[in-house]
Amino acid sequence: MEAMLGEYLPILIFLGIAIGLSAVIVAASWVAGPNNPDAEKLSAYECGFEPFSDSRKQFDVRFYLVSILFIIFDLEVAFLFPWAITLGDIGVYGFWSMMVFLGVLTVGFVYEWKKGALEWE
Amino acid sequence: MLYGLIVFLPLIAAIVAGFGGRALGDRGAQVVTCGALIVSALLSGVAFYQVAWKGQPVTVELLTWIDSGAFDVMWSLRIDQLTAVMLVVVTWVSAVVHVYSVGYMAHDPHIPRFMAYLSLFTFAMLMLVTSDNFVQLYFGWEGVGLASYLLIGFWYHKPSANAAAIKAFVVNRIGDFGFGLGICGVFLVFGTVEFDPVFQTAPGFAGKTFEFLGMKLDMLTVICLLLFMGAMGKSAQVPLHTWLPDAMEGPTPVSALIHAATMVTAGVFLVARCSPLFEYAPDALAVVACIGAFTAFFAATVGLCQNDIKRVIAYSTCSQLGYMFFAAGLSAYAAAIFHLFTHAFFKALLFLGSGSVIHGMSGEQDMRRMGGLLAPLKITYVLMWIGSLALAGVPLFAGYYSKDAIVETAFMAGGKLGSFAFVMGVAAAFMTAFYSWRLLFMTFHGQNRHPDRHVIEHAHESPAVMLVPLYVLAAGSIFAGALFAQAFIGEGSPIFGASILVLPGHDALAQAHHAPLWVKLAPVAVGLAGIALAWWMYVRRPDLPGKLAAMHGDAHRFLLNKWYFDELYDALFVRPAKWLGHALWKRGDGKVIDGLGPDGIAALTLDIAKRATRLQTGYVYHYAFAMLIGVALLVSWYLYRGGM
Amino acid sequence: MSWTSAFAPVLPEIWLAAAAMALLLLGVFQKEDPFARISRLAVGALAVTFVLVVGRDDGRVAAFDGLFVVDEFARFMKGLVLIGSALAIVLAEDWLVKERAQRFEYPVLVLLATVGMMAMISANDLVSLYVGLELQSMALYVLAAFQRDAVRSTEAGLKYFVLGALASGMLLYGASLLYGFTGTTGFEPMAARLREANQLPLGALIGMAFLIAGLAFKVSAVPFHMWTPDVYEGAPTPVTAFFAFTPKIAAMALFMRTMMTPFGDIGPAWQQILVVLSIASMGLGAYAAIGQDNIKRLMAYSSIGHVGYALVGLTAGTGEGLRGVAIYLAIYLAMNAGAFAIILGMRRRGQAVEEIPELAGLAKTEPLTAAGLAVLLFSLAGVPPMAGFFGKFYVFMAAVNAGLFVLAVLGVLASVVGAFYYLRIVKLMYFDPPAEPFERPMPGAVGAVAAASALFTLLFFAWPAPLVAGAEAAAQALLRLP
Repeated sequence: MEAMLGEYLPILIFLGIAIGLSAVIVAASWVAGPNNPDAEKLSAYECGFEPFSDSRKQFDVRFYLVSILFIIFDLEVAFLFPWAITLGDIGVYGFWSMMVFLGVLTVGFVYEWKKGALEWE
Repeated sequence: MLYGLIVFLPLIAAIVAGFGGRALGDRGAQVVTCGALIVSALLSGVAFYQVAWKGQPVTVELLTWIDSGAFDVMWSLRIDQLTAVMLVVVTWVSAVVHVYSVGYMAHDPHIPRFMAYLSLFTFAMLMLVTSDNFVQLYFGWEGVGLASYLLIGFWYHKPSANAAAIKAFVVNRIGDFGFGLGICGVFLVFGTVEFDPVFQTAPGFAGKTFEFLGMKLDMLTVICLLLFMGAMGKSAQVPLHTWLPDAMEGPTPVSALIHAATMVTAGVFLVARCSPLFEYAPDALAVVACIGAFTAFFAATVGLCQNDIKRVIAYSTCSQLGYMFFAAGLSAYAAAIFHLFTHAFFKALLFLGSGSVIHGMSGEQDMRRMGGLLAPLKITYVLMWIGSLALAGVPLFAGYYSKDAIVETAFMAGGKLGSFAFVMGVAAAFMTAFYSWRLLFMTFHGQNRHPDRHVIEHAHESPAVMLVPLYVLAAGSIFAGALFAQAFIGEGSPIFGASILVLPGHDALAQAHHAPLWVKLAPVAVGLAGIALAWWMYVRRPDLPGKLAAMHGDAHRFLLNKWYFDELYDALFVRPAKWLGHALWKRGDGKVIDGLGPDGIAALTLDIAKRATRLQTGYVYHYAFAMLIGVALLVSWYLYRGGM
Repeated sequence: MSWTSAFAPVLPEIWLAAAAMALLLLGVFQKEDPFARISRLAVGALAVTFVLVVGRDDGRVAAFDGLFVVDEFARFMKGLVLIGSALAIVLAEDWLVKERAQRFEYPVLVLLATVGMMAMISANDLVSLYVGLELQSMALYVLAAFQRDAVRSTEAGLKYFVLGALASGMLLYGASLLYGFTGTTGFEPMAARLREANQLPLGALIGMAFLIAGLAFKVSAVPFHMWTPDVYEGAPTPVTAFFAFTPKIAAMALFMRTMMTPFGDIGPAWQQILVVLSIASMGLGAYAAIGQDNIKRLMAYSSIGHVGYALVGLTAGTGEGLRGVAIYLAIYLAMNAGAFAIILGMRRRGQAVEEIPELAGLAKTEPLTAAGLAVLLFSLAGVPPMAGFFGKFYVFMAAVNAGLFVLAVLGVLASVVGAFYYLRIVKLMYFDPPAEPFERPMPGAVGAVAAASALFTLLFFAWPAPLVAGAEAAAQALLRLP
């Protein structure tokens, strides 16, 4: 039990530092920053929507199209980090695997570009 | 070759006339069938001379029929003395009836069919009498049954004819059931169905018994009784006689050929043929004699009161068959066959004569609407007299020789059985004479009582093509007895040779010649008395019968309704069977089997289909829920089983 | 490790994936309507793949450390899937043009789904199983909603997607349980673990139950079938046809390999579940179809019933049973291709019609089409001597020989009930007064497919040996545990 908890100690430290750091930053900006709010500034911003309103509301599908396209590349980047770190171990095979993956994604990107999915109007 | 021709010519004629009737036309069909039958009749005359007169029986093997394990049956023709006699009777009467039919059926639209049926019947009857084993016998037996059915129902547009045809078939099936069992029994006991081996080994089985339902039964007695059951059906013996009077719905030539001269005598032939079996089964013989004697008496009483001309003769036939059976039952097979032989002539004569009367009366059969036909139908009148004299057993006519012999045999056989048969026989002889002359007087004497004047004026003698056959039969009725009496039943009975077996001690027939004089005279005396009584009641005092009937109303009704046999069977068998059939149909089949079976399953299927369709609601969450339930069930199953 | 030998088994899949992407780019860069051209090229790509798959005959080979395996079974099933996909593209062309939905993405999506299906068939590991399954499913979701302007089509796509996601979740949960209790995701190691275990871990069994649930969804076995009627009815008809006779084969193949390889030694454990699924599918397929008026919905229930029959063979779990399933699937492909070809040919006044009463009196207006459809329906009902009878015969015989008498008897009874709704259509065509005739002539390719499949089902009995031999080899490959 002791040993297992010991293994989690770095995480506890990490959590402590994170909480502490964010508290310091928020407090510093609150103390140091200028503070003259108006209505527009106080309202929350979320993709052009009213944050609190009837959920059954018409919206522009283009927001979602863009966000879904974004998520693909977001995930690609998330996949790239571990690959980059272990590149030395997985060698040429690993390198080309990622190249194929990126190639496939590029094909998709070219398709959506040509289809006009990235144009707002 | 000769014998083959006798048997198969009628079949060929039947096929040609039946299937080629359209091409041949009416006349062609008549020529083919009559020609074939006349040739066949002539050939059987030759056969009779060779086989019976010279005493040279032959067996002609045709081909193998069934060869299955131990069961081995041949198609073969057995022509011995007994068969030869039957061949003569069958082919001659058949030929005569064929020719007669040309005239009688002249106005019928289906002549080729009728002639084909007649020839088919003749073939089946010949197969029956020439068979060399029980199975072939059964083939002929069923064949004549089929032809009889077809011919009774020949006028298929008449509901009564159809009903009569079905009745004849069904009643015969009851007898045939026993006959079939009897054949099975023969095979079981003897291991073969060929006549010769069966008859040769029969003495060895005398008195042997077998176990059935805890009873010890004598093998041969059981077999003989079963075979006799078939004979009872076919030969219309009480209690399976009810179909014969109804069978008169068929055309009159059919009645003459099938229901008087030939087919109905098949039962007598069967008993005679199986005499080597019956001789070793005395109990069965007693039953045969008893049934025969009773039928002779019973049918005669019913004949007293019938008004339909053909029914009177039909009951007379029934009664005469009774004579034959009690003769056979008393081991006087030769006398039985002799009576069969003479009876064929005079009964066919009577039937065809009555057919001539019916023909002349434009189809009328009720004697109450006849009378005074003496003038227009002189020839027929004479012929009918000849037939009746022969039937009544007046000396010198054919019936006298055979009937007398039977009655004397009964007397000489003695004992309770013989005495019973004798009394019944004499009583029946009296009544026979009475109703025969009642028929003659009602038909030919007095005034014509038909309500339609047209019919009376139209009454006419039959054409020559119908009368010539009658002359032939009349000659037979007069001379057949005197000519053949010595040969058939004379001392030593030379004609039948080995074809009939009579054990020593069963020789009542041989003793018959030594009967006292009064016994010999008794049938003749009562016959004459019967004629006199008929004359008194129907010519001298025509008012008497009505009074008598009114006085003894119950007795009259009892006889008129044929001892209520039909009503009894209706209540005992027909109604319960119909009720059972109706119940099984409506309730058993309709409600239970259909209801739970086809209909029920179909309704259930549609119901399930409706429910299954309703499962599909269209809501995604229902679908998801169903999946979750499904997986939950799968998992719970494993949890419940607790692993494997 | 040489690269060529490492990738050789996967060559058909790589080729097909590359071809799909190339066609995607080609289509998007082409100025004039690229639909027809891409369709032809896609069929060509499938043909090349077919040659690559069937042309090799090197027994059992594995790739990617055993995640991916190619054997006789895989070749047989991939051959069927490739034929099915090609038919789906051929049959769709004319229909999509007439419905003004001739987007070139259709053939490309079919190709991508096919890559997924091939991966499923060769999957020898829970991970590759899932990847193949999802690749296939994603493409199918899109295809179901292909007529994106039609409400019914989008509804079908959405339903399929939501329920498919749920099924995938179950499958993944089962996979993770299995991994947790056996410590491996590979089929063969898992089989070894289960074989060596003194007592079967309950967790593994429950994981297997979840896995079966996910797979049952893909083959649409009761009670995981609920999406089928709605999706089949709503999806564009060529897509329905594709759904009916291609992914089902792949999913069934995956089902077979998953049951036989990792769980081959614990047959009794899954047989009891499959018996229930099989009976329920046969029963529901037979009964629910009776109440249908829409022919696509009817075919949906018919496909549910047929899955039930195929599962009979799998439940038997013997070589005979597996052979029966393989034969069944091949015949099923042929029958359904023909039936859907005729359904696709039902057009009147520029509209596709899909109600069953529209077929009334077809025998009088078009005797040849009616005869062809009658043959196919008799075959679907399992009337001898049509091919469908032999399909059922092989699986039922296998069940009887495996001692599953109740299953076989219920199967025969269900096919009797099922015969009713097939024969009802025959009765409609031959004995009812004719409805308005259809637009004619039928497109050449569609007519050819219908005729070919009718002839195949009619004459199969004359020369069944090649198919039976192929199925036998496939079954033996699956039975030969490493």
